[in-house]
Amino acid sequence: MLRAIGVSYSYGSSPNGVHDADLAVAKGEVIGLVGPNGAGKSTLLRLLDGQMEPQTGRVERPPPRTAEGRVDYGFTAEETPHFESLSGLHNALFFARAAGLDRTAATEAVERLFERLALSEHAALPVAEYSFGARRKLALVEAMAHDPSLLLLDEPTLGLDAESRTRLAALLAERAHAGTGIVLSSHDAAFVEEVAHHVVFIVRGRTRRGGRPDELIEALDGAVNLIFNLSGPLRSPPEPRGPDWTVIDDGNPIVVRAERGQAALPEVSRALLSAGADIREVHVREPGLGDAFRRIMGEELGPPPRGES
Amino acid sequence: MSGLVWETEWRIALRRPRLFALNVLVPLLLAVPIAVSEAPAGHAAAVYAVLFVIHATFGSAIPLVRDAETGLVGRALRAGVRPGEYLLERCASGALLDGVQLLPSLLVACWGLGSDAAAFAVALASLVLALWAANLLGVLVAAAARTIAEAALFAAVSALLLLHVSGVFRAGAPGSLSARIEAAAPFRAIHEALLHSAGGGARPDLTIALAWAVVLPAILLLLATRLGPRLAGTPPRDAPGRVM
Repeated sequence: MLRAIGVSYSYGSSPNGVHDADLAVAKGEVIGLVGPNGAGKSTLLRLLDGQMEPQTGRVERPPPRTAEGRVDYGFTAEETPHFESLSGLHNALFFARAAGLDRTAATEAVERLFERLALSEHAALPVAEYSFGARRKLALVEAMAHDPSLLLLDEPTLGLDAESRTRLAALLAERAHAGTGIVLSSHDAAFVEEVAHHVVFIVRGRTRRGGRPDELIEALDGAVNLIFNLSGPLRSPPEPRGPDWTVIDDGNPIVVRAERGQAALPEVSRALLSAGADIREVHVREPGLGDAFRRIMGEELGPPPRGES
Repeated sequence: MSGLVWETEWRIALRRPRLFALNVLVPLLLAVPIAVSEAPAGHAAAVYAVLFVIHATFGSAIPLVRDAETGLVGRALRAGVRPGEYLLERCASGALLDGVQLLPSLLVACWGLGSDAAAFAVALASLVLALWAANLLGVLVAAAARTIAEAALFAAVSALLLLHVSGVFRAGAPGSLSARIEAAAPFRAIHEALLHSAGGGARPDLTIALAWAVVLPAILLLLATRLGPRLAGTPPRDAPGRVM
């Protein structure tokens, strides 16, 4: 239903932007865009939404409105302006009616979504009094109230508490099941792993190999994260890597990615003990999408400098 | 026109009672001293005309630029509001709000000028037409400006220039080219109506002001597909030329 073919957009001499990116989303499919800050995720979403036109390449979009005249896109940016003096409810009703719903349908849809995202108790408050998280939920309500067949969500979990995040995941799964195509960008790899059918990594503006979250995790070939809780600080920084393991967080806890699984535990423990670590406990965590992304990043950018995860 | 923008603008105005009160009281701060003074009617009428037109032009242009800067205009247009609908409904609600806010000042002005009820009625009709034209002018100003400071400058210059062209500061000699231009200018009627309230001059002919009230929105509608994206910073949802 939506396809970007070799799209590029540069901001003058800035390295930020999107370069020769490809992406396709089908009806009912959830695509997760995962990448570091400044990788081009937001730019790609804006290109997909038509807020910017690509300098090269093309985006094939469905018509902006349905046959009945309803806007068929929903979009949330990281920062979404509102009518600050109006209530959240009136803001959401404005955007739902602007998208083509009549007053009754808009009210029903908005109230339902306020309920689903646990925003009802804030409905009558002016947006100026909203917390950051409540503003983010309101923006999500506004993107979805008119039930578009294409949803483009930039960092949808930003500012959401765990409960709201779970509610959002359920809502997106329902929408996808009903046929909505969804593209979401997120730093929250666990959320993407939970809701996305297909993940696309984006690094330095270029889309990289992707796949189903479970495939990407399986491709880690038994790699695990070893998590060492320490009783006190280290005497000296730990070795950053061994033959088949890499320290990805040298704080407390120390997190080590072991490519061949738990077999690396004795060697890593020895390395930490020699750095003066007083190891209180060790956990082994199965790898997730974040680890798959770190591997891609490692391949793209080389080994991280000491101390950087 | 769905009335959505109109309704929202009124809702916003009613949620800001302090701003509403200021917009009533500040014009009165100028109108009252002039009304109770011995100012010549011609001078007083000119000051009132400037006050009303500047109030409406600024009141239209500056909030529009502010909303463009915050991204709210772009968001509304991308959400599905059509540019012409957005701009015209903003102007209509703005003109009526200005009328409500300036009514006490007009009453004071007409009282100071010694107006009778019939002359006041003509002045009120002229005021509504002038405010409508000034709000439309404000949209054009906002589209040309990139910042609020620029909007304030452009609003002041364009409103004062049109007031001058309308013969508010100095009337052209009868039969001269400037007199003919004045007769066709958008703010001629409000000035003439105020002079008429003071017992001077003929009752103004509102035909030209009515013509402007139709022509200006038509121009705005024609330009809306250009003005909207300019204010929005990005093309609205239905902008022509979008690759589908």
